[in-house]
Amino acid sequence: MASNTVNNEVRVSSDAGADPTRRGFLGRLTAAVAAVGALVAGWPLLRSLVPNVLYEPPKKFRIGAPENFQEGVTFLEEHRIFLFRDSSNYHAVSGICTHLGCTVKFSPFTLPQEETVRQFTYRALGEFHCPCHGSKFRGEGTNYAGPAPRPLKCFHLELSRATGELVVDVATEVSRDFRLVV
Amino acid sequence: MSLSKIAGIWEKLIWPWRPESNREAGSGIVANFLLHWFPNRISLRSLAFPASLYLGTITFVVFLVLTVTGVILMFLYVPSVERAYWSLKDLDHAVSFGWLLRRLHRISAHLMVALVFLHMFRVFLTGSYKAGEIVKSARPFNWVLGVSLLVLTLLLSFTGYLLPWDQLAFWAITVGTNIAAAVPYVGETIRQFLLGGTIIGQPTLIRFYVLHCALLPLVLFAVAAWHMWRIRKDGGLAIVEEDRKEALAREPQAPKKSKTYSVLGIASGTTVQVNDPTTLNEDNSVPSTPFLTVRILLITLLTVAVSIGLSLVIQAPLEAAANPEVTPNPAKAPWYFLGLQEMVGYSALMGGVIVPTIVILGLMLIPFLDREQKGIGYWFTDGPGRKWGVFGFLFGLVTTCGCLALALLAPMRSIFPTIESQVFFDLVNPATFLLLLFAGMYFVVLKKTDSTRYAAIATFCAFIIAFVILTYTGTALRGPNWDFFWPWQAWPVHPTAL
Repeated sequence: MASNTVNNEVRVSSDAGADPTRRGFLGRLTAAVAAVGALVAGWPLLRSLVPNVLYEPPKKFRIGAPENFQEGVTFLEEHRIFLFRDSSNYHAVSGICTHLGCTVKFSPFTLPQEETVRQFTYRALGEFHCPCHGSKFRGEGTNYAGPAPRPLKCFHLELSRATGELVVDVATEVSRDFRLVV
Repeated sequence: MSLSKIAGIWEKLIWPWRPESNREAGSGIVANFLLHWFPNRISLRSLAFPASLYLGTITFVVFLVLTVTGVILMFLYVPSVERAYWSLKDLDHAVSFGWLLRRLHRISAHLMVALVFLHMFRVFLTGSYKAGEIVKSARPFNWVLGVSLLVLTLLLSFTGYLLPWDQLAFWAITVGTNIAAAVPYVGETIRQFLLGGTIIGQPTLIRFYVLHCALLPLVLFAVAAWHMWRIRKDGGLAIVEEDRKEALAREPQAPKKSKTYSVLGIASGTTVQVNDPTTLNEDNSVPSTPFLTVRILLITLLTVAVSIGLSLVIQAPLEAAANPEVTPNPAKAPWYFLGLQEMVGYSALMGGVIVPTIVILGLMLIPFLDREQKGIGYWFTDGPGRKWGVFGFLFGLVTTCGCLALALLAPMRSIFPTIESQVFFDLVNPATFLLLLFAGMYFVVLKKTDSTRYAAIATFCAFIIAFVILTYTGTALRGPNWDFFWPWQAWPVHPTAL
């Protein structure tokens, strides 16, 4: 049987090991130059696809006068942010699930309740549920069920000097006890 | 133009040629470019329906349907975030037969994914990835090409999914690109490269459009051509190994062919026809034309008819226009990704990156791990192979249901409420357990039977059933908030939402 065996497996090159002749050297040189050439030619092609200018909405924006927001929680659909107001205290929680980026939904409690999560006591109005893979977050953002790897982000809030409106800065993350007092 | 000339053209168009002898059939192939696709004679074993179920042929026909409908759709679709959704509305309501084109393209895409999987199952279960002993063919390499075609098909489906720019499209791509971001270190860079920015917008749409309409189809066409050319070079379907064995037994001392047919200087080595003892004769083979050509024509017609028939009854859904502000609840990927989405629900890193990578690499490695050469071309190899197939099937059924039950009844975070480390939950979750159970079963069966083929059959059958169960769970048993619902349970009408 063995004498009838012929190996027909695909081989890219028939040379085994380095060929010490001049022909072999020139062959390898050609391959090396071709590889460098391909890299040099390929770089601009790929680099051009990485944008230098993004035409995306700004990361810092005004959302309106503080007194316009109701007591409790308001969802700013356009920015995917939950704005919490506790009389004169304001803070903003991101509505983007830390798992795969779906928008979480706020599931309110019937009555607000005192809650301590990771040594932080606050008045919880409800909790966040993600529709995509079932992640759940406490009212201050801590993930406690499902695949979400991190708590929801909290964003920096300030008052606009020009108009007195609330300004959210989604590029600046703050800790969950951050409150803007107006 | 005289009537006889017109009749001549008609004759050429309908091609009423019937070969009178083997010699004429052979010359026909030399004379006709299209017939170069097929060999002169074809083994009766290859031709038999159970050998291949013609799944590869059907897949290619469906790909052709997709190409034709896709080209027409390109004339009617506008790849802009303002107009994409409305050009789909136009297709459904304003363009003559636009609805048919869209349905046919969609149903064929779903069929193609299903067929590529079924074709892979067939090739695996008949052991057709094996090189054979008499003439070592490159079938192991062709299996690797086949797995790349599976990946390309999934990529084509995924990129096509965004184009309608409706809610389904937008959120499927949100989830998909965030899975890419779960890759350690370079994930975020990959995500932004895919999106062409930091959010899904016009740059994303145009990227996916070009990938879907130009780059990926070209690559798929090239690899598919290579895949089919290799079947010719390897001497036909794997079952011809039987013909080779018989030929060798009949005439052990028969003179061998020694002419090389390779393109000298470009391809190395010889084709399998050289030194091939197979002499396809009157007893074991027939001329490809008309026997194979007519069968392929019939398969083509049936496939096209079934696709059109299905698209007449199955509507192509179009949800509300893409709205980045509102996530639909539940947000689901297309069905072939729902098994993945179910596992992504345990851990994005394990379910979305590690498990798929291991599955694809594992599939590609099958012919190099299992080098046994028995029973090539036969379903499940032999009796014990069938037994181990059933064992793998049952093992997969029990373990997958077990892991699902674990995920539903005792999520990892409730078992270990004090642990906050994300790495822990990425490593310890039902997807990991399933992976380890299957790998463990491979080695146990290998040790018990001392056969890589039986171990591979058991593992592959477990993989098939796990894929089916996870896909079914993601499709039918997951409702709002990705909560579990039995098929007879109604989903809550108004999920609590702000």
